[in-house]
Amino acid sequence: MNIIEFKNITKKFGNLTANDNVTFSIKKNSVHCIVGENGAGKSTLMKILFGVYRQDEGIITIKGKEADFSSPLDAIDCRIGMLHQHFMLIEDFTVLENVILGSEITRNIKLDFDKSEKILNEYIEKYNLDLSLDKKISELSISEQQKVEILKLLYRNSDIIIFDEPTAVLSPIEVIEFFKIIYQFKIEGKTIILITHKLNEVKEISEYVSVLRRGKLVYETDAENLDIKILSKEIVGDVDVKNDSGNYEYEGEPGVLAELKNINLKKNKLNVLNNFDIKLKKGEIYGICGVEGNGQNEVIDILYGLNKNFTGDLNIHTKKISLVPDDRIKKGMIKEFSVGENIIIKKKNLKSVNSKSILKAANDVIIKYDVRLPEVNAPMESLSGGNQQKVIIAREVELDNDLLIFSHPTRGVDIAASSFIHSMILEQKKKGKAILLVSSDLDEILKLSDRFGVINKGCIVAEFEKNQFNLQDETEKTILLESIGKLMIGITGEQKN
Amino acid sequence: MDLISQIISLTFLAQVLRLFTPYFLGANAANFSERSGVVNIAIEGFMIISAMGYALFTIFSGSAVVGFFSAILVGILFSLLFSLFVIKLKINQIVAGVGFNLLMAGLVKFLIIFLFQSSSNTPRFDSLPNIYFLENIPFIGKVLSDYIILFSFALIFISNFVLFKTKFGLRLRSVGENPEAGESLGIKVRLYKLYGVIICGFLASLGGIWLASNQNSFSDGMIAGRGYIAIAAMIIGKWKPVNIFVACIMFAFFEALEISLQISGTFIPSQIVQMLPYLITILVLIGFIGKTKPPAADGIPY
Amino acid sequence: MVLLVIGKNPFEVFSLMFSDVFGSGYGLGQTLFKATPLIICGSGLAICFHASLFNIGAEGQLNAGSFVIGLVAYYLSGLPFFVAIPAALICGFIVSGLLGLVPAIIKVEKGVSEVITTIMMNFIILALINFFLIDFFAVKSTVHTEKISDAVMIPKFSDFMPMFQGSSLNFVFVFAILIAVAAYFFIYKTRFGYEIRAVGYNDTASKYIGIKINKIILSSFFIGAGLTSFVGMNFIMGYKGYYEFGFSNNLGFTAIAVALLAKNNPIGVIFSALLFGFLDYGGLTVNTIVPKEIMFVIQGIVILTILSVDKLVEKYYLK
Repeated sequence: MNIIEFKNITKKFGNLTANDNVTFSIKKNSVHCIVGENGAGKSTLMKILFGVYRQDEGIITIKGKEADFSSPLDAIDCRIGMLHQHFMLIEDFTVLENVILGSEITRNIKLDFDKSEKILNEYIEKYNLDLSLDKKISELSISEQQKVEILKLLYRNSDIIIFDEPTAVLSPIEVIEFFKIIYQFKIEGKTIILITHKLNEVKEISEYVSVLRRGKLVYETDAENLDIKILSKEIVGDVDVKNDSGNYEYEGEPGVLAELKNINLKKNKLNVLNNFDIKLKKGEIYGICGVEGNGQNEVIDILYGLNKNFTGDLNIHTKKISLVPDDRIKKGMIKEFSVGENIIIKKKNLKSVNSKSILKAANDVIIKYDVRLPEVNAPMESLSGGNQQKVIIAREVELDNDLLIFSHPTRGVDIAASSFIHSMILEQKKKGKAILLVSSDLDEILKLSDRFGVINKGCIVAEFEKNQFNLQDETEKTILLESIGKLMIGITGEQKN
Repeated sequence: MDLISQIISLTFLAQVLRLFTPYFLGANAANFSERSGVVNIAIEGFMIISAMGYALFTIFSGSAVVGFFSAILVGILFSLLFSLFVIKLKINQIVAGVGFNLLMAGLVKFLIIFLFQSSSNTPRFDSLPNIYFLENIPFIGKVLSDYIILFSFALIFISNFVLFKTKFGLRLRSVGENPEAGESLGIKVRLYKLYGVIICGFLASLGGIWLASNQNSFSDGMIAGRGYIAIAAMIIGKWKPVNIFVACIMFAFFEALEISLQISGTFIPSQIVQMLPYLITILVLIGFIGKTKPPAADGIPY
Repeated sequence: MVLLVIGKNPFEVFSLMFSDVFGSGYGLGQTLFKATPLIICGSGLAICFHASLFNIGAEGQLNAGSFVIGLVAYYLSGLPFFVAIPAALICGFIVSGLLGLVPAIIKVEKGVSEVITTIMMNFIILALINFFLIDFFAVKSTVHTEKISDAVMIPKFSDFMPMFQGSSLNFVFVFAILIAVAAYFFIYKTRFGYEIRAVGYNDTASKYIGIKINKIILSSFFIGAGLTSFVGMNFIMGYKGYYEFGFSNNLGFTAIAVALLAKNNPIGVIFSALLFGFLDYGGLTVNTIVPKEIMFVIQGIVILTILSVDKLVEKYYLK
């Protein structure tokens, strides 16, 4: 029996079509995975189901009835629960307060803490959540916080539960625990929708899989007919993931430009970097791949000179460093400033900042890098994500610095802009720049790097040279990808379990 | 020596408790607003306008009780107006606070001159009735028989109970800490902010009323920065009613001391004593008495 | 509307205001005179606000600076004016600036919001000035300092232009316009100004762009607060000849409104200060019909209204 049916769902944000005529259904009491790349439209679709957004066209039916949600509250009333990527928790509240908020049990005018505690402790025991109710959220680890979110769903008796990339923040052991909870949900008769882009997880847990690509539903299958190879091809589409770096060889003098040795860093008493080592050489792209939050940003801050509280050896033989940060709006630009102003503010040597020099700076970049914008003096926020990213990368590249750091350079950027950005990066390598490329997109790492390391818990756990990963044979390639995937989530080759 | 014996007298204690009252009412007012995520630096203005309201309505109706309820209404009306700007229109809360302080101070000055043809104060009027049978207790009878003073003592427990033990308080605090989270669970964020601001207006107006009732006359400048000290007390009290109580007692002690100093005339300049509460607040903020942390979403429009 | 409530004809009131203000050189002069300190203080605050620093402490800062200007100008009265006046201004600027640095340092070092520290600083500074003034510097049984010599007084407009006869308008007004223009160029046309605005918009991005945020916070607070001290010039050198406690009459707060109304653009500050000056002096002209304090109310309403209209326009324009 279909518990949810999506019929011809279309949702547009301005020019971008996030969901394009999507039709499929979800069976009652199943584990249904929705997979796709970043920006494929998975989260948008789920937010429509949960009442956060409203579709432009199409109908959703839930339990046979047409759903017309105007806010998540309507969805909650329909016993749908959603575990967001960003947790909706109140740091300064206890676990108990967080869970009961909005559906409090009271006696007279007083909150009945005892009764709620009793109910919640039953859930905690049943699902083996191992939480203590009177701790504050700020004292909990990320995985414990996720359990609080799960407890919230249980407390509200949700029977359709949407998980938005729940394992992105979990260590491998925690993922196993998380899956146990999902199995328990299934036994209870609940329906689970899981958004993910990790194929190994899809293989392990799903009963049904739907693939979205650029807003369209492109492929559907069930567990029996699931083939990872076909699935990955459907997710990516026809993009060729061949290593291109060979066509852009640097022919000058080699040399090490920066070296990090035994770097250790503590943040809130936790080790975020553990004996971290890398070498960055002229004319070489060094990739760091890994699940986000494993110390990548800390490495960048140290290299860039913003964090000096580490121990270990840092040898950088240049002061000229460029950075394309991971979050362009928060870290990369002043969104209220125009393109020219955003460029000129970083050109420290340029003394005059009159409107003429600003206009010139803008025009140089706009023409050379084919930036599309409404008007020369328009604020950066009026540009599309891809064009914003082009401006930032152009600015950094034009500074002609010796060391360039690119962090997630093509995140949230469309395919055409992505390949343009990739060729920009490769050209810099040809010029002899030392380049550090940080990305969680394995394809990007494989495509651009000369060498790369896998980061896990603040440590490079393995390094690969080009001849090890630039493979022609498909089977060898699959084996390689699988082992890198394991390394990224902390399962090393030696300690098989 | 003279000073010390003055300080340890019951009269001095009564004085401290009396001075404590407007501070504590104002600080709790500010706290309810900030707990819901609205920074209200216009406590001063709210106290001024309701003190004036009490004066006006008492004089024109001839009844202190009518004056009392009208003044509370005035406080609540102005807090509704304030919430129109900060909650509905989402104007920067500090800016709106500065604007309201200017507006209310100006309005009061204007009304005094317009209605009473006096440049600084109103005619005399009645104070609120007291509890008869407690009035004759020596020294502290005046304190114990005052409804508002008694209420402000009860407020320590009421505030604590409402904020931390009721559904209402839980929800109010949640919108001040993380409105997105609250909304995802069906809490009407703006409604709770409105509640916070209205309670704030109510408590601040009690503070203003008490001051006016006690002086039997409204004079321009009678609030004299008490609204700001109340905010300071809230910060030093780390947004917790019991700590706020201690902070207010401390400020009241300094003010009582200042008055005693002025009477007895010592070598310590009164201005130095006057500025002590503010200096202490800054020192506290710098971290001499431990860290203070406001509600996470305090001051951010939603 | 307020006027209607109290039963006066608003048209009568406003027409009287207009005719008195614009009908005579005196009225115009007084309006410009009232606007002068607001232009200066508003320009200083605009610099702070561009860095997203909510300096509520102008009232204290400007009083401290003015107090020092009054004292230095008095003690240096023997020197030629081209030495004494700049010396007094520099001292005033430094004192106000340093007092502005205190909340800035607390913000940078301890992460404490400047809003609350500047409010507290207002009370502390005013108490200290009161103490120093009364216990050491004031003319007996007054709250003002000794009168400075005529040599360091700024000439009045009426000395050259008879139409301004009787008005206190003086050349500090020209100086104020120059300050506003300079502040405009500083904020919008210099690298430093760009950096200040960048930090104000987005401090994280500024850090990654390579701007030293702490330096920006400290210096914009110093410059902004320092500028407020020049307010005293208008009153001391252009008008009374001495510093008087309470001369500012909440000018530091009104200037916040002036700056915000102008969206922190110093050229706009000139105009919003003129509007407030008009209301301020206009209040005096209609005092016979309605108490002049009505203008405080109108000022409050003006700022709240303009800000709300601005918000509404933004909301519907962006839709």
